[in-house]
Amino acid sequence: MVGTQPQPVTIAFDVMGTDHGPAEVVRGAAMLSLESPHIHTLLVGDRDLIDEALAEVKHNGERISVQHASDFVGMDEKPGEALARKPNASVAVAARLVAEGEAQALVSAGNTGAGVLACARHFQLIPGVRRAALATVYPTRSVRGAKEDPFSLILDVGATVEANAEDLVTFAVMGSAYARIISKNDRPKVALLSNGVEPQKGPPRVVEAHARLSEMHDINFIGNVEGIDIPKGTADVIVTDGFVGNVCLKMLEGVHDTVVELAQYAYKESLRWRAGLAMLSSGIQRIKDITDWNQYGGAPILGFDKIFIKAHGRSKSRAIANAGKVAAKVVANNLTTAIREGLKK
Amino acid sequence: MSLPDRIDPRPPRRIYRWDLDKTYLQTEFDSLRDLVRTAFQKAHEKVAVPGASALIRELSEQGDSRLCIVSGSPKQMRAVLEEKLKLDGVKWDEFVLKDNVGNLLRGRFRALRGQVGYKLPAILESRVHAPVEAEEVLFGDDAEADAFIYSLFADLIAGRVDERVLSQVLEAGGVYPDDQVRVREAWKKIPVSDPVRRIFIHLDRLTPPAQFSAYGPRVVPIFNYFQAALVLLADGHLTAPQVLKIAVEMVQTAGHNIITLSNSFQDLLRRGLPLQQAAIALSQALEGPNKLLAAMRPMPDILAAFSKRLAALGTPPPPPPVQAVDYVKLIHHAMPRTSKRRGKPAEE
Repeated sequence: MVGTQPQPVTIAFDVMGTDHGPAEVVRGAAMLSLESPHIHTLLVGDRDLIDEALAEVKHNGERISVQHASDFVGMDEKPGEALARKPNASVAVAARLVAEGEAQALVSAGNTGAGVLACARHFQLIPGVRRAALATVYPTRSVRGAKEDPFSLILDVGATVEANAEDLVTFAVMGSAYARIISKNDRPKVALLSNGVEPQKGPPRVVEAHARLSEMHDINFIGNVEGIDIPKGTADVIVTDGFVGNVCLKMLEGVHDTVVELAQYAYKESLRWRAGLAMLSSGIQRIKDITDWNQYGGAPILGFDKIFIKAHGRSKSRAIANAGKVAAKVVANNLTTAIREGLKK
Repeated sequence: MSLPDRIDPRPPRRIYRWDLDKTYLQTEFDSLRDLVRTAFQKAHEKVAVPGASALIRELSEQGDSRLCIVSGSPKQMRAVLEEKLKLDGVKWDEFVLKDNVGNLLRGRFRALRGQVGYKLPAILESRVHAPVEAEEVLFGDDAEADAFIYSLFADLIAGRVDERVLSQVLEAGGVYPDDQVRVREAWKKIPVSDPVRRIFIHLDRLTPPAQFSAYGPRVVPIFNYFQAALVLLADGHLTAPQVLKIAVEMVQTAGHNIITLSNSFQDLLRRGLPLQQAAIALSQALEGPNKLLAAMRPMPDILAAFSKRLAALGTPPPPPPVQAVDYVKLIHHAMPRTSKRRGKPAEE
């Protein structure tokens, strides 16, 4: 008997258009079918490719179904043009199925713009939300919530390039609700990203948002933070607009890549440095574990009435499975309702 | 003896052969602890695989079938296993268990874990007494060598495997000489015919279905017995109301639901099983004023979900081609799981 099993939830996976190919997403879904009995997956993409991959991997056929989609949007395609030319692209079909109730959430590791656009076409914005926000998780020095998650949430990182004060407040409410659910963090610390911690620092929209958030007692608003505070983990949720957020995210990723390249250079350059790196290996492994994308699964597009979790394009099967778990958790905890109620206050 | 005093039972038209552990019973014997627990379990503590007893009961409804069980469980467990079958309302015609104590006393250690030397002679000897026209459907699992042994059995009696290949397989499978003699003797007594219609492999270990493709479309790996029932409906062994009864038991006792049943249906379609007619028969069965079926809500919802899963695929894929099975090459499938040879294909 099912007994205390959680309610079954179906997650649609856009199988196509990822860096590692459809088989990697199928493997992730297969992993999910073995690990989480209450999560069912709807794999959307080329049926032959999906079946080929599925036949070779351990999975539970009771928890997986397939929807054939004849096209897909590649990583390097322009989202608007691609979706116009390819109405049967996997991400569009998957978003439509979620909108129709065939699945409760969408996970995609494909073209981010196409994902956001497909959601915008098929999903509705939550009342009170003017623009959706693309969130991302970023590894930090400190941990947070009952799950001790070692990452903070940054939003927006690209969906809304020019956000006004009202948008920033909405982002704060949505990010706070998401952190409460995913990190089991009852009072997530929310901050605005600015060029100084003082309330009057930053452009007018940030100053106005600061004033409004200071008056909202349901949000644990800690004021402004600077860029340096992101990796420190000063705040659990960092609110900014899509332009600044995207620049900030790319810079943080660039720093990470540069550090890795420098370590590789050091390893090759000198025996003494190599010995030093060997002595630091456990620490390096710890950093690698923390910054490993595969642990996080994905980050949400917040603001729609349906859930979309965007997994990193480089996601391997473990990350895909984790993205599915994140999506199921968000659905089970009624994120949309939490955001709707947060915006009413 | 006058005629009314002597009424012979009707000869069986169909024979259903079942393995027991992991096919009918949810048995764990992967560790010593599991083995001990299984050995001391009482009949009421044993749990059947969801839908298995319902499927057996429905298959026996026609009245002209035989149920033959050949299990690797030791003979000492006969009483408790028989009690469990009776508790589930399962009636059997033949029940063969393994003489592990005998093998131990005779120092036949390979026979303790080997399956080919035990099951193959047992089912061949059983077939000797069957009418030549009796069809067979076999049920096994992916824990042992069932797909290999059942396919070999089918191809032996159909005359598709010759003496030379059989000898190679028996040697490579580590079958003791006396068991090899039993295999050959029984085989020679069976008239050549092609009675095996299906071999169902219950995926207890969730082995990827593609690993069974070498045995051809006759072998159908299944995640649950609803899938077996659907295929048996398409094959004409069950009626649509009988399939619905099996589904209902699985919904009521094992937590199956619209999603798992419709996914199971689509899984078979994607593997090329021709189930479109079966789906139509199921929906027609629900249209009649049948009291029992009326209670089987949410069956209409399940059928709606089936239709969606069917439509989701566009054109269903063609069935996989029939092919000759290369038993010598596949002998590693028949080795015990811990055998070093298990994972290795035979050398060319």
